[in-house]
Amino acid sequence: MATEILTRPVEDAPTSRWHSIFTQENIATTLASLLVGAAVILPLFAIILSSFQILDSSGFGTEWGLDNYRSLLKDRVIYGAFVNTLLISSGATLLATFLGVSLAWINARTNCPWRGKLEPFNLIPFFLSPFVGAIAWHNLAAPKVGLLNNLAREILGIKGHLLNVDNIYGVIWVTGIFFTPLVYLFVVGSLRRMDPSLEDSARTTGAGLLRTTLTVTLPLVTPGILSGAIIVFVTSAGEFGVPFKLGAPYGWETLTTQIFTKAVGDDANHYLGAAMSMTLGAITAFFIWIQRRIIAPREYTTVTGKGFRPNLIDLGPWKWAALAYNLAYLFIAVLLPLVCLVIVSLHPVWEGRIIFTDLTFWNYKKTLFFWWPERIVSATNGIVNSFILAFIGASIAMILALVVSYMIHRTKGFGSRLLDFLCVIPIGFPGIVIAMGVLVTYIKTPIYATLWIILLGYITRFFPYGQRNISAVMLAVSEELDQSSRMAGASWLTTLKRVTIPLLKPGIFAGWILLFVIFLRELSISIILYSTGTETLSVGVYYLTNFENEPLTSALSVAQSVVLLLCVYFFRRIAGREALTA
Amino acid sequence: MNEAANGNYLDVQGLVKYFGSDRAVDGISFGVPKGRFLTLLGPSGCGKTTTLMCIAGLHKPDAGEISVGGALFTSVSQRAYLPPEKRDIGMVFQSYAIWPHMTVTQNVAYPLEIRKLSHSEIGDRVAEALRLVGLSDMAGKLATNLSGGQQQRAALARAIVFRPRLLLFDEPLSNLDLKLREQMRVELKRIQHEVGITSVYVTHDQSEALVMSDDIIVMSKGVIQQTGGPHAIYARPLNRFVSNFIGVANLLDGRIVRVFGPGRGEIEVAQGGDKVRLPCLLADGIGEGSEAVLSVRPENVDALRDPQGLGAGIRGEVIQTIFLGNCQDCRVRWGDFEWKVLAHSRERLRPGDRVYLRLDPEHTLAVRP
Amino acid sequence: MSFVELDSLTKRFGEEVAVSSIDLSIEQGEFVTLLGPSGCGKTTTLRCIAGLERPDGGEIRIEGDVVTSVSKGVHLTPEQRNLGMVFQSYAVWPHMTVFDNVAYGLRVRRRGRAEIREKTTKALELVGLGQLAERFATKLSGGQRQRVALARAIVYNPRVVLFDEPLSNLDAKLREQMRVELARLQHDVGITSVYVTHDQAEALVMSDRVVVMNKGVIQQIGDPHTIYSRPANAFVANFIGVANLLEGGLLGRSGETADIEISLGPGRPPLRLKAAGGEGARAGDRVILSVRPEDLSLHVHLPQDASNLIEGQVIDTVYLGNFLDCQVQVGQYEVGVQIDHFEQLAKGQKVYLTFRPDHALCLTE
Repeated sequence: MATEILTRPVEDAPTSRWHSIFTQENIATTLASLLVGAAVILPLFAIILSSFQILDSSGFGTEWGLDNYRSLLKDRVIYGAFVNTLLISSGATLLATFLGVSLAWINARTNCPWRGKLEPFNLIPFFLSPFVGAIAWHNLAAPKVGLLNNLAREILGIKGHLLNVDNIYGVIWVTGIFFTPLVYLFVVGSLRRMDPSLEDSARTTGAGLLRTTLTVTLPLVTPGILSGAIIVFVTSAGEFGVPFKLGAPYGWETLTTQIFTKAVGDDANHYLGAAMSMTLGAITAFFIWIQRRIIAPREYTTVTGKGFRPNLIDLGPWKWAALAYNLAYLFIAVLLPLVCLVIVSLHPVWEGRIIFTDLTFWNYKKTLFFWWPERIVSATNGIVNSFILAFIGASIAMILALVVSYMIHRTKGFGSRLLDFLCVIPIGFPGIVIAMGVLVTYIKTPIYATLWIILLGYITRFFPYGQRNISAVMLAVSEELDQSSRMAGASWLTTLKRVTIPLLKPGIFAGWILLFVIFLRELSISIILYSTGTETLSVGVYYLTNFENEPLTSALSVAQSVVLLLCVYFFRRIAGREALTA
Repeated sequence: MNEAANGNYLDVQGLVKYFGSDRAVDGISFGVPKGRFLTLLGPSGCGKTTTLMCIAGLHKPDAGEISVGGALFTSVSQRAYLPPEKRDIGMVFQSYAIWPHMTVTQNVAYPLEIRKLSHSEIGDRVAEALRLVGLSDMAGKLATNLSGGQQQRAALARAIVFRPRLLLFDEPLSNLDLKLREQMRVELKRIQHEVGITSVYVTHDQSEALVMSDDIIVMSKGVIQQTGGPHAIYARPLNRFVSNFIGVANLLDGRIVRVFGPGRGEIEVAQGGDKVRLPCLLADGIGEGSEAVLSVRPENVDALRDPQGLGAGIRGEVIQTIFLGNCQDCRVRWGDFEWKVLAHSRERLRPGDRVYLRLDPEHTLAVRP
Repeated sequence: MSFVELDSLTKRFGEEVAVSSIDLSIEQGEFVTLLGPSGCGKTTTLRCIAGLERPDGGEIRIEGDVVTSVSKGVHLTPEQRNLGMVFQSYAVWPHMTVFDNVAYGLRVRRRGRAEIREKTTKALELVGLGQLAERFATKLSGGQRQRVALARAIVYNPRVVLFDEPLSNLDAKLREQMRVELARLQHDVGITSVYVTHDQAEALVMSDRVVVMNKGVIQQIGDPHTIYSRPANAFVANFIGVANLLEGGLLGRSGETADIEISLGPGRPPLRLKAAGGEGARAGDRVILSVRPEDLSLHVHLPQDASNLIEGQVIDTVYLGNFLDCQVQVGQYEVGVQIDHFEQLAKGQKVYLTFRPDHALCLTE
């Protein structure tokens, strides 16, 4: 009786032989690898080839040679830009590392009040556009029109100016505070996940609190700190918006601003731009290689079972100082810039002081009302285009990321290792370099000067971020969950649909929103690949700050920031903080 | 036509699987008659899981042939490979692999939905499978709300619900705690017996293998060391590896000095100047003069305070006694060798006691090195 | 005065009482094990001794020094207590070599270079890791890491070594080997040890005395033999080893033995059995008869001496290599019997179980 129902046969036994080549799995994964391979390899090849082509004086023909690289050394401006790039990246790295490590330690390992509530706010700068931050800080601390300088003149009665961010120090300052969350994320994770008995055993062995922190805690998180620092260095070197706003106009050129000038200026020389891009790319790729090959493998995986909670250090009254320090960071990095932008955006013209009688919403109408005849077309175009790009781009990138992650983690072999490698390459190159590659690759194809080329640039550069997000979840989800579906009789596609994707949903969605955010604020790819009609949101901001005035710029910046903050809010609700480490 | 020529339902011939240059499975052949429960037993890295994965179709072998009920699953020489979902095999994984985004019922119904059975049929079968594993009360619960033991039961229900041709177990109990593990292995065996599905079970836990199996294959380094029933494997190991891996044994290198008759002889072992000859049972392939290993289990050694006509036996000194509750684990030093002797705890041996060791000749074995 | 004394130690986590006013004395050189299921408060007790948790009540003294006292407001930090501790996760620092790990405690104590080298080398040799001194900790196996953790904990000659389930991450064979080794080592070094485990075999093998805990309360303290053969209550009887527990009423006591009547459910005559113990119980009290599987003898035919006889049917037999584990249905009970010879028993077969009264125990609830 017991097994009567179960012993009825279910299906005739399949006995057909099956050739293993044209399976759903193989077709899908081959397609995905070809796509990824083409998307990543083509621009790189194109840019390498272009960098060895010299434009002749007529501006039409080219010949092969090393002249582009020679002029990197000979041209004083480019050489200066090279030095500035290194200085800015180093400075920003030091600043971000100091802030990131200290904030992470306060949040993860001390009894600082409200630390749980502060954490999401500490990450906000990661989501906002550094370009907008630079605009805000320009309005706060430019010598003449800076709000803070005017306040200082009025209240403290000083002559001249208190602060000046329109120089290399301003670039370092804004870059540093905006990239602090990158270090924070790398360090806070290892601090939280550290097995507390590693510290307990130092204490029971006889080491005091300070000694334990210096000889056990810090050495254990050093690889995390170094990883974060390298990511900041590389990201800073590839940053375009901040030096464009605060450096270039005042004589502090960087490689990115120079690439931009050479790529889209009136006397555009793509070939020289390609050589500069290669130089920048070589530096960043080298550092990423160091991070992944030498530093990341040394990270100590110290997670263990036995319901552990990290040891919290009682700071005593100093906990209030720690809280003040954290609040000060949030004030400087988030609140002050945003408030300043709002204030500026409400003025018809900005002269550095608040004039309550003049307040108006006119700037928002001009930049946001895309149905309004008197609008600024470049700005309103940007809004529509960016939403289209972000939505479609994030969707395509995540589909690609899903298949690629599946290949990397679920099929083992040469193909998967190659794919893993291909996915790292875009992370090693700044957006502006990839954009140059995409530009020289597709300049003679119909997609040039359409939204498609921008989309291609976005996906090529950023789909690895989505892929990391999915991979993280995929590693946590046992492969046996998939296998048992196959064993139960489901095909690869059915398994993907009914088991794999539902299980990865949090990772997929988190990755989607992350990419959506990145695409909405993207500047350095768009600036190279846009043309009239295909402006993006950040290009709109660029247009306004370059050709219109600060209040209009601020209005669009505020709008962009509000949208980004909303996305952050949803992101928090769906993914945890861990999902961010790309 | 349902069985291979040799009467086996599952038939594995010359299976080879490499990982890189590493031979995980090195040309093994075995079979399982219909309805039997076979265990692949061995230390980690011995190739047992790889063998199972090849049967499941989750790994592709590099050589060899696998067939079930006459149907060819994999044959490298004939370039045939049936994907896992076409094999109609139920499998229970080490991590249970219960889908956390579905309820228990949805998990168990899944294989039936894939096979497009009618609603009422699915309902009946799922209810029956859940009843069989004792999870009827949990049907509507999300899988994440189950304990480890319950997840294991759900996994089993999912594996048997579609009446597969073969049931595979990949160390299914290793994540459970000791008491639950002991309970589950008896129950697993009972359910397998009840549904009567031919089963292959992989484990590194020898007591699990002894408790559950009809037949055991002991593997090491990708090669089969011994095949046999639980009692045969335990009582008559063939070689040093099996002797040492299954249970605990006193192992001493020696030489066969005399053969009495079929399977009986005398082994000579020496330690620190002491040389003794012991009557023993000979494993296959051991003849006079061959090097052999003396293998005696601790429970087959008696430690006696007084020789009682034992003649020239092994005389040693108790150096450590470990109280194990129901018995006493004693270490007796004889030359450089430490004998493990399991004595009843009421005997109360103490370190320093001089004792004579008496080996039960029916359980004293000479095995291959 | 004992070497280590716990005095009504209490620790709460929020509402939950993890350790409920326990008293314990440990002598110098003694190996004491705190044994109990997870959540019984054993680890919390150990962490209170270490100074890693601050108790909510009570006092801890080591060598007469008060290291923690809630009433006196004393709480020494872990590093001020001069203890050694071995953790479940080994907690071997991955960024140091084996040598540096072990030398750490000596360096913290500002010992001379020569002394550090000598003592560290000696400790490493003691645990059998002399060859691996320069190896990085990440390159070690689980068993080797455990040895490093042990060497690190004893190298500076602490007053007490604390062990927090150190063997639970090792596999079964290695665990058995390590526990024998640990017991030998502790014996040789002669250091006072407090060991926490949930594994009863580990506790029986290694300890001078075992402290059985449940729900934050000490259930029994005694040497392994006493704990096993004379458990104080049903919890201890069932937690240490396997015991068949039959509920019944006490009919009376004569000398050392108790007469117990076990009811087997409706329609079945009750069993009358004799067992040792039952001191303090009176006729009519509810008691539990505890008898271990290895103390029961199984007979296929009715034995001559039919006292202390239980009749039942075989449910199942399980072959375990060195013995058969047989389940016998007796009324509503499933009684486990261990048979040390290979015997064919059919399911449903009628069998007889007997036991000596002094091998069974009458427990009061």
